[in-house]
Amino acid sequence: MSSTSTTPPAVAVEAHGLTLRYGRRSAAALDDCSFRLPTGRVSALVGPNGAGKSTLLATAAGLLRPTSGTLTVLGTAPAEARERIAYLSQDKPLHPQLTVAETLRMGAELNPARWDAAHAAAIVEQGSLDPKARVRGLSGGQRTRVALALALGKRPELLLLDEPMADLDPLARHELLGTLMADAAEHGTTVLMSSHIVAELADACDHLLLLGGGRIRLGGGIDDLLHAHSVVTGRGTPADLAPHTVVESRVTGRGLTALIRRDGPVGAGWETSEPSLEELLLAHLRSPSAPALLTPGTTATPAGVTA
Amino acid sequence: MSATALAAPARRALPRPRGLVWTVLRLHRTALWIWTGFVVLTAGLLLWLYGPGAGSTQEKLDTLGYSGVHEAAWSSGITSSYLSGTYNDLFYAPSSLLDIASFAVAVFAGGALIARELETGTAQLAWTQSVTPARWLAAKLAVPALIVTAGTSLLVVLYELLWSAHSNLLMAGIGPRALRFSLGPATVAAPLLGLAVGALAGLVLRRTLPALAVAGVAQFLVNAFRANSWPFQGHYQQPELSVRSRAITSTGAEIRDPGCYADRACLDRHDVVGFTREYLPSPDYWPRQLLETGVLLAATAVLVAVAFGVLKRRSAP
Repeated sequence: MSSTSTTPPAVAVEAHGLTLRYGRRSAAALDDCSFRLPTGRVSALVGPNGAGKSTLLATAAGLLRPTSGTLTVLGTAPAEARERIAYLSQDKPLHPQLTVAETLRMGAELNPARWDAAHAAAIVEQGSLDPKARVRGLSGGQRTRVALALALGKRPELLLLDEPMADLDPLARHELLGTLMADAAEHGTTVLMSSHIVAELADACDHLLLLGGGRIRLGGGIDDLLHAHSVVTGRGTPADLAPHTVVESRVTGRGLTALIRRDGPVGAGWETSEPSLEELLLAHLRSPSAPALLTPGTTATPAGVTA
Repeated sequence: MSATALAAPARRALPRPRGLVWTVLRLHRTALWIWTGFVVLTAGLLLWLYGPGAGSTQEKLDTLGYSGVHEAAWSSGITSSYLSGTYNDLFYAPSSLLDIASFAVAVFAGGALIARELETGTAQLAWTQSVTPARWLAAKLAVPALIVTAGTSLLVVLYELLWSAHSNLLMAGIGPRALRFSLGPATVAAPLLGLAVGALAGLVLRRTLPALAVAGVAQFLVNAFRANSWPFQGHYQQPELSVRSRAITSTGAEIRDPGCYADRACLDRHDVVGFTREYLPSPDYWPRQLLETGVLLAATAVLVAVAFGVLKRRSAP
């Protein structure tokens, strides 16, 4: 991926049986969650509300301590990789009393080894923000831009973004996503980004982690996952589709429409097409009981061997 | 432009604050200004009491002796209230201000310094830069501790100067005793305990308003305890503070105060031309003061250690 820097570790994030509870008696936000995210991927973290997306991202950022299991980031513990990770939490905390310029100065002061002032300033300028404006007076979208500038100015190897684009207008979203992707492509940055906006994900991401009930339900390259599934239409019952795994089926005017995980070629009499990302996600979100599928590259290595 | 850029580093005499120190100073700039204002105003009051403020009362002492001090203290009809504006009462004002300051430091540490950052997530913002939570807390404690110590030390030194110059202008009683025994290194240690109390409250409660309230109440109790319990300086438990009070005759001899009050004829009859009066040092001062300072600093150290423990347990390893 990156031609100039030294070879990065092949695994950006790897979880083994990761479990995290807020308090002893509450339900686990992450429940025996295992996966690996190879470096250089731009991965979408999706899942219903309360699935554990924010918990996973905060744990990877070294802000939460796992109840059990392990999580390694860039080949080490999250807290050890602090300098090489950037994290943008959902509520984009910034100091309201600082100006935009002072916020970036803080980034420089707190990341002396890595700070790229020109890059951070460029992101702020792109939004035509006055560097002397106080963060207190900025709109939600402008604040997101400053928070992203702070995250990208660090030149991270792993970028963890929790609902990064939620309060941006479509134009700013397009711009910032473009900046983000260009940056990731140029530097081989791994990005793990949670979002509800499927269009945003389809454009920007090449990898998917679907989180449900505290575990990964679906994980892998988006193209691989789409290839592994088919939308089939025909006359019959879901039982007729064996040995394929039926993720979701419904009766329509033309018979049965189902999203299946193929196991071999689909039998005659079924009209097949490749699902869109949206169809794939909705089918899995509506069927939480569908078996999990992780492609080999996204499956955690056995016995907790760190890369 | 290039010329000034090249010349700038050479001209810079003092190293600029960098990193976390810069961040803490910038984030709490308002608090820093308020503290500076407090120190400047209190120092101003102390200097006024040391210099121009003492003039008329000193004159009363010189001419009428201790009865002159009494007369000055009662000149506005009331005493023991700052509203009286008399020298005797204003003398104690800096002591009250120092007490309030240690309370304010605790409230600030609980609220703005720690809990607000945890509540709004800006602490986590710092921890996801290249800064560990432990270093963050260390800077959050060390920078204010240094600034608070510098300020209170200056005020205590000025207060000691004022005491040695003009404590003889104070009405005898509990007041001078309580002030003498409470003033010293312990006065500097008290706000440091306030800082630790506030920081711990902030880390445990993680929400601004409860942390601020708990820190305030806790430091109020510390101050109340200081004022009433051994080994701290109880107002009614201090040893006597001896006063040496003499009248001076025209020959320069020191005699007992003849007890003339404001009766000039009586003073002339006794050939009194002046008075001298001073509080004698107490052998109990240093043992008590050092014991109290030790207790306060030990409590501070324990609370700071607990605070780091809480932080370690709360944040990821």
